[in-house]
Amino acid sequence: MAISVFSNRRATALLVMPALAIYTAVMLVPIVWSAIYSFMDGGLIGGFTFTGFDNYTQFFTDPQARSALRFTAIYAVAMTIGQVALGYLLSLLYLFHLRRSSTIVRTLVFFPVVLPTVAVALLFQRVFGLAPVEGPVNALIQTLGGTGIDWLGGTASAVGVLFVMDLWRSMGFYAVLLYAGLMDIPEEMIEAARLDGATGSKLVRHVVLPMLLPVLVSALVFSINGTMKVFDSIIALTGGGPAGSTTPLTLYMFQTAFGFGEYGYGSTIAMVLTLLSLIVTWFILRSTRRHLTAS
Amino acid sequence: MVSRFITRKGIAGLSLVISGLLAISACAGGGSQGAGGNGDGKFSGLTLTATTDVINTLNSLSTGDCQAQNTSAPLTLDAAPQDQYDQRLQLLLSQNGLPSTFLSPGTPDLGRKFIDADALVNVSQVLNDAGLKDAVLPAASSLVQQYYGSNDLYALPVQLNIEGIWYNKQIFAQHGIAVPTTWDQFLAAVDKFQAAGVQPIAQNGANPGWGITRWLGAYIFRALGPDAMRKVADGNAKLTDPQYVAAADQIAKLGAEGVFGKAVASADYNQTVNTFLTGRAAMMYMGSWITENIEDPKQNKVGAANIGFMRFPAVTGGAGAIDQMPANAGQPLMFAKSAFGDTSREWLKCIAQNYGDTAFEKSGLLTGMQMREKHDLSPLQRVVVDQVEGSPSTVLWFEALFSSQATTISTQNAGQLANGSMSGTDFMASVQAALGK
Amino acid sequence: MTSTIQAPAPRQLATNRATRRPKNRRSRFLRRLPLNIVVALLLVIVCYPLVWLVLGSFKTQDEFLSSPFWALPSTPDLSNYTEAFAKANLGTYLINSVLTVIPALIIGLALGTAAAFALEVLVWKGRGPTLGIFLVGITVPAQIILLPLFTMYFQLHLLGTLWPLIITYTAVTLPLNVFMIATFFKAAPRGMFEAAAIDGASTLRMFWSVGVPMVRNGIFTVGLVQFFFLWNDLLFALTFTNNPRLRTVQVGLLSFNGQYGSIDYGPLFAAIVVSISATLLLYLFMNQRVMRGLAAGSMKG
Repeated sequence: MAISVFSNRRATALLVMPALAIYTAVMLVPIVWSAIYSFMDGGLIGGFTFTGFDNYTQFFTDPQARSALRFTAIYAVAMTIGQVALGYLLSLLYLFHLRRSSTIVRTLVFFPVVLPTVAVALLFQRVFGLAPVEGPVNALIQTLGGTGIDWLGGTASAVGVLFVMDLWRSMGFYAVLLYAGLMDIPEEMIEAARLDGATGSKLVRHVVLPMLLPVLVSALVFSINGTMKVFDSIIALTGGGPAGSTTPLTLYMFQTAFGFGEYGYGSTIAMVLTLLSLIVTWFILRSTRRHLTAS
Repeated sequence: MVSRFITRKGIAGLSLVISGLLAISACAGGGSQGAGGNGDGKFSGLTLTATTDVINTLNSLSTGDCQAQNTSAPLTLDAAPQDQYDQRLQLLLSQNGLPSTFLSPGTPDLGRKFIDADALVNVSQVLNDAGLKDAVLPAASSLVQQYYGSNDLYALPVQLNIEGIWYNKQIFAQHGIAVPTTWDQFLAAVDKFQAAGVQPIAQNGANPGWGITRWLGAYIFRALGPDAMRKVADGNAKLTDPQYVAAADQIAKLGAEGVFGKAVASADYNQTVNTFLTGRAAMMYMGSWITENIEDPKQNKVGAANIGFMRFPAVTGGAGAIDQMPANAGQPLMFAKSAFGDTSREWLKCIAQNYGDTAFEKSGLLTGMQMREKHDLSPLQRVVVDQVEGSPSTVLWFEALFSSQATTISTQNAGQLANGSMSGTDFMASVQAALGK
Repeated sequence: MTSTIQAPAPRQLATNRATRRPKNRRSRFLRRLPLNIVVALLLVIVCYPLVWLVLGSFKTQDEFLSSPFWALPSTPDLSNYTEAFAKANLGTYLINSVLTVIPALIIGLALGTAAAFALEVLVWKGRGPTLGIFLVGITVPAQIILLPLFTMYFQLHLLGTLWPLIITYTAVTLPLNVFMIATFFKAAPRGMFEAAAIDGASTLRMFWSVGVPMVRNGIFTVGLVQFFFLWNDLLFALTFTNNPRLRTVQVGLLSFNGQYGSIDYGPLFAAIVVSISATLLLYLFMNQRVMRGLAAGSMKG
């Protein structure tokens, strides 16, 4: 009897079908549609011709694509580590240090997520500004005796500013996400471990971390998929410059498809990115499952 | 764990669903015709949100000189932000749904593709048939012809700007510097400013750093002649040829000496204009659209009378001349073939005849369209008109004839050229590589 | 686990000790000092920009560009605000944003929760592949669906309306909704469902009365995330709205950009402040719910 409730076919269809139908019509169909274009040469003006895997071969010999791929990889890995680690530290701070008074801090730290990207980018352009007005960062450097740096004008430093900006924006979100996970850990378990003599880092490593793993995995998957597709903040902060140093695959794809009028090749870039995201996501889920069953 | 769904069975299911969807998407692809229609009964337009001059003028025409046209086909005007404007036009074109009239894409390259796709009305033909050949100013007409590499006009030049160096008369006088007419005099003036601790040039080098490549383009036209960039576009010359690299080296050298200020690679348009108009730099390269800012006392802290315009100096022994005026026609107004009918034709004729006067009366703006009445010009407008009339020919800018790829690379790398971290050779090589695609 | 029965909660333990022995209180203060400094710094880093934004809405163009970062506006007045409202139809933009984001958010969460329940709690053939299909939606870059969707909406003559945005927003939230809420269902104790099943509850009843309450805080958390994702969307809003009357707030903020790259900072910041104030109210309301949900969740544990 109980089993039949869990495998009621009509109820299942009723629950799944609406979401699946909308998702299929609005996302899956377009994805497949564009996937087909990735095997074609041409654009919105002038139409398409089938060229097989030519676009894919082109991708791996295209220096701009390679540099966009490299930037995407560096950005995604560094940002994912940064976001999840910072969010995790903050959530521990909320739970073990601030405890009940953490609501207001949590709310405030979350706040940057609310701000429009345009506003955040303008803010960071000023904070790292050099001329005509020095921003706080360069003011600090000069007070300490250094010389000011044109942060957003340098290829490496602009990447740095982008990291700082996106970390600042997102840390509060990851903190809340992981905090929600921490709150779901039964208090008795932590207390039991405490009474068994586990404190500080030991407590965190042996009790909190394993219990948090499902939420941590969600956060990782969410983060890596968000950062591999970074777009808005780059458009607002650097537009992909200087000298293409902050151009990720998404932006290169967008420029190719709509700026250069090569929708076919643009689709190819998007497909490569999708495949990469799928592989990485699968890898994360796979390896953590093994870890979960092992522990 | 969630990962359990990635199984071989899962992939099989996925491909089954996808093949089913293919059928659906194939049906969806071949739908009815676009909403554009043949344009009879309505006259739709698309402009940029920022081009209030165009919006105001078209709206004024619809209630003024073009009232009759507006009665038979009312004007419905949409405006879109500059961001993704080119994308929007392409999407509309792909659906055969371009509005009756619209501002051209941001790059001439894309406009050329529209012409190649036979999407645009041949404006010259319509005007000739109607006996309105003279509706477009000759200088503006030549600019649009150069834009799209065609002797026929495919757009009305509703914007017209000359370009050159704006300078702070006060700072020039303080340091006893006369307006330079040759590149050597210009370099001497720059040295003098540098020695006196004055920033010689304010220029936008942040991506897109077109302000910097304007210097490069203008220098190339002076040194190598007005057809120098046409040769590159046609493949008869390469940017990596020594004479082109030498031009880029001139700009790189200025950059290495800090002539553009200490943060040129992150200087955006606003900072540039502000630096110049608050008297913290002696010169700035800009189009004549800047007269609006110069005449605004809230922005211009040094006074409109203190700002002068000079032509880009001549290069001694160069193939170009100082009176070949760099100019642009902004984003000219195009007409979609798919939405072109009798009422649109009447609209086009009416716009061509009356745009110049209406734009000046409503927005105080000089356009590329002939004015039929005499108007009183402000001192700065007088300067611009005199320059236009005193220049026998015009030249475009560095990226004007480039593909969109090369334009992107050029404006992205410009800041590095201007702060001395990229050599002229490297810069030209990077742009040439993108051109070769 | 049995040892926890007599043990008092650690928080009470700490406070009891502290009140009993004042000497301990000082050492506790010193022990907590470094982290308190960290918290203080953190608050400055996240709060000052907000102050800066508000101050910016009272500055002139010249002040914004030429005065130091920390400078206060010299002549604060509301002229930027009046200009912002004159240049951009902010009221309409806000209404459009609400009209597109809120329905999409609610529908997306409802459908996502239902699907997540079916995928995580119920047992049926093909749920693995179905979850896999939803996962594709998380990994795909949004730029790739623009052209096909534009074509579909154009052919269906929907482009002059807000429908393209509502439909698109609903769909793009689904993959993450399903994935995240499924994780929350996964963490929920299965015994509750089994108990409900033994009590004779139907599948749909079990979903509504047992499943949904259990993941309520999860739904709110995901909802909050999605709200800001949708609220800050520019890509879809720019592609699917031609008409100025259909602009959302984010598109409206571009009204202050000039043709050659100029930006009217004062009015822009005024518009940003107006749009943030509107979202702030919603945020505080939703945040309350999330925190309450979280508290309920922790008591349940």
